[in-house]
Amino acid sequence: MAKIIGIDLGTTNSCVAIMEGGKPKVIENSEGARTTPSVVAYSDDGEILVGASAKRQAVTNAKSTLYAVKRLIGRRFEEKEVQKDISLMPFRIVKADNGDAWVEVRGKKVAPQQVSAEVLRKMKKTAEDYLGEEVTEAVITVPAYFNDSQRQATKDAGRIAGLDVKRIINEPTAAALAFGLDKQLKKDTKIAVYDLGGGTFDISIIEMADVEGEKQFEVLSTNGDTFLGGEDFDQRLIDHIVTEFKKEQGVDLSKDVLALQRLKDAAEKAKIELSSSQQTEINLPYVTADASGPKHLAMKLTRAKFESLVDDLIEKTIEPCRIAMKDAGVSTKDIHDVILVGGQTRMPKVVDKVRELFDREPRKDVNPDEAVAVGAGIQAGVLKGDVKDVLLLDVTPLSLGIETLGGVMTKLIQKNTTIPTKAQQVFSTADDNQTAVTIHVLQGERDMAGGNKSLGQFNLTDIPTAPRGMPQIEVTFDIDANGILHVSAKDKATGKENKIKIQASSGLTEEEIKRMVKDAEAHAEEDRKTLELVNARNGAEALVHSVRKSLKEHGDKLDAGEKEKIETAAKEVEAVLKSENKTEIETKAQALAQAAQKLGEKIYAEQQAKAQPQGEQPQGEQPKKDENVVDAEFTEVKDKKTG
Amino acid sequence: MQEETVQPPESPSQPKSLEQQLAEAQAALEQQRDAMMRALAEADNARKRAQSEAQAARKYALERFAEDLLPVADALAAALESKDTSGIDLTLRQLKTALEKAHVSEITPAPGERFDPHRHQAMTAVESGQEPNTVVAVMQKGYALYDRVLRPALVTVAKSAADPISDKDLN
Repeated sequence: MAKIIGIDLGTTNSCVAIMEGGKPKVIENSEGARTTPSVVAYSDDGEILVGASAKRQAVTNAKSTLYAVKRLIGRRFEEKEVQKDISLMPFRIVKADNGDAWVEVRGKKVAPQQVSAEVLRKMKKTAEDYLGEEVTEAVITVPAYFNDSQRQATKDAGRIAGLDVKRIINEPTAAALAFGLDKQLKKDTKIAVYDLGGGTFDISIIEMADVEGEKQFEVLSTNGDTFLGGEDFDQRLIDHIVTEFKKEQGVDLSKDVLALQRLKDAAEKAKIELSSSQQTEINLPYVTADASGPKHLAMKLTRAKFESLVDDLIEKTIEPCRIAMKDAGVSTKDIHDVILVGGQTRMPKVVDKVRELFDREPRKDVNPDEAVAVGAGIQAGVLKGDVKDVLLLDVTPLSLGIETLGGVMTKLIQKNTTIPTKAQQVFSTADDNQTAVTIHVLQGERDMAGGNKSLGQFNLTDIPTAPRGMPQIEVTFDIDANGILHVSAKDKATGKENKIKIQASSGLTEEEIKRMVKDAEAHAEEDRKTLELVNARNGAEALVHSVRKSLKEHGDKLDAGEKEKIETAAKEVEAVLKSENKTEIETKAQALAQAAQKLGEKIYAEQQAKAQPQGEQPQGEQPKKDENVVDAEFTEVKDKKTG
Repeated sequence: MQEETVQPPESPSQPKSLEQQLAEAQAALEQQRDAMMRALAEADNARKRAQSEAQAARKYALERFAEDLLPVADALAAALESKDTSGIDLTLRQLKTALEKAHVSEITPAPGERFDPHRHQAMTAVESGQEPNTVVAVMQKGYALYDRVLRPALVTVAKSAADPISDKDLN
């Protein structure tokens, strides 16, 4: 069945998302970008360009390149917002026969709905290219302050684009959905949505109420500034660099179109960089030239400097927030959540201001450029019924495994695996003629068995006597749909099997899970050291074992002196086996391996055909070895492909 | 009591009782439900694996390219240190080869070529004897990774006489 798509039809940029496998996904357009500029151009040969390509030809086609049409849609020509735009926009805004504000392009009157439809068509195509099927239904977002006629006009734009608009939702509501605020248990909560986008700023106070089990959102108040956004921040930075450069080098970069373009790109990058670091450097070699020769631009810029450049811009967002709260009849302590939307909210100073104003930590865990589209996608999924389906599947909160040689926890099922699921691994014995193994089932994230929770254990007996590493014991973990864990161990030689059933009820509480995950993180370093020590010990012990075995079988091929040397080295390894010093064990083991090389050479020379792979394997833990082999192959293939 | 006497003793050839049929159907249903749940869970786990694989692939995707850039950095440093720029040509060629190997190609439209906003960005429109909407000059080369434009070529475009250009800039 065809999907419903969620579209954030923005003033400067638009974005499309769908629900896929129960998760919202933002779709990249054909140029590889996750957001598309809401720019439409009508070229002289009749072609209609949308997005980045429309932006790129604006200089040569300014009158027929339309942007920020969202400010006009569904409005009367006389409205003051429209009148303000007339003097600002390079394209013509005209009065339609019905009194609405339209635009005039290449001598023809065009409704803003038709222009927006071109953007929507591009978003629809983006989704179709990804999904490989036609899309006919959509959820579109609009600003909370949009009136009925603006909403209807947006719906009509969808219709023109070939989309049945299933629902128009408010941008702040979509953002709240993206942050999962509808999943909270709190009953009636008030949320402030602070949206500082590319060209507009919106603040909304919304209330989420639980009406008979269904979450409903109501917009209590909105405010904002339709001419304030991230692009103003960029401009401040560009102006600053131009001024500084002029002071230092005496050249006005704003007169050089190429230099200015390079500067624009560099300024935007610097702005982004300063959100995560305290300082950045803008380097533009050969940025321009004068009579004296080429000029380079190299400028260090600190976060503090940038903040001082845009301080008043951030300050301008505060008053609308105060008014919105006043209009909603709430004070900061009534607000339960503050969420940040729009790319410019990545700037730490903006976050600080918002925190200061609302006296609480704002939420910013969803990509602010995409939050609105993601919320629209989630709403689309709810309408389709996609969202409910997913809740059926549960995951294992912690890893499950068994204890292996040296007290190591070997995981068979990793945490966060979706259940029901099954995992199988073959193990072997650690000693010669070992006839029984204990399967100790563990739960947790620690590398060492002792740090994890024991779920139960059982023995598998009557294993036929054999050298260590020979028997093959297949251990199976199976978690069924009810969360019950079935563990079985089977000796592949005899077919003898034993099993245990572990009820879900013997599992852990949410608290315990959190504690155990934290515990594992806290002990990660210590566990890693222990694990390395155990591995070194196991490896050394296995080496002694296999060398002794070969010595017994092939010792006659060596002279007494050589034999003596190997035996001494083996004894030295045994002496340090109990040591806590990993390096010591490894050094001695290496010495033994070197001493035993002579023996190996002799054996290989005379018995090449009889080489026994098993003899080389320390614990007979085959899956581990297999993994390594696959890894190596993977690198090989990759090398060949790209090289 | 009566029923027992009326009912003939069951023989193996007789059709199964309703209870038996129900039990079998229920067992079959349960089995199918389990199979379905397992398939769903497997799909979900496959998705998670694919995601972590994609993450790892992204993380190391640059490995080859980065390796090819190292000699370029070395050469530039050597040029600076020796104050001799005779090797710059060769270094640029090294860099170009690295870009080519990474499937990064230049976008350099020839003068007179039709302006293509998918690959070019118009910086200014100028009076020229050329056909309107054609490229007059390239100010800065563009680059594409496979078919995707990394950066458009910055060009000047021939003005069309009929449509006077406003000097207002979009950016």
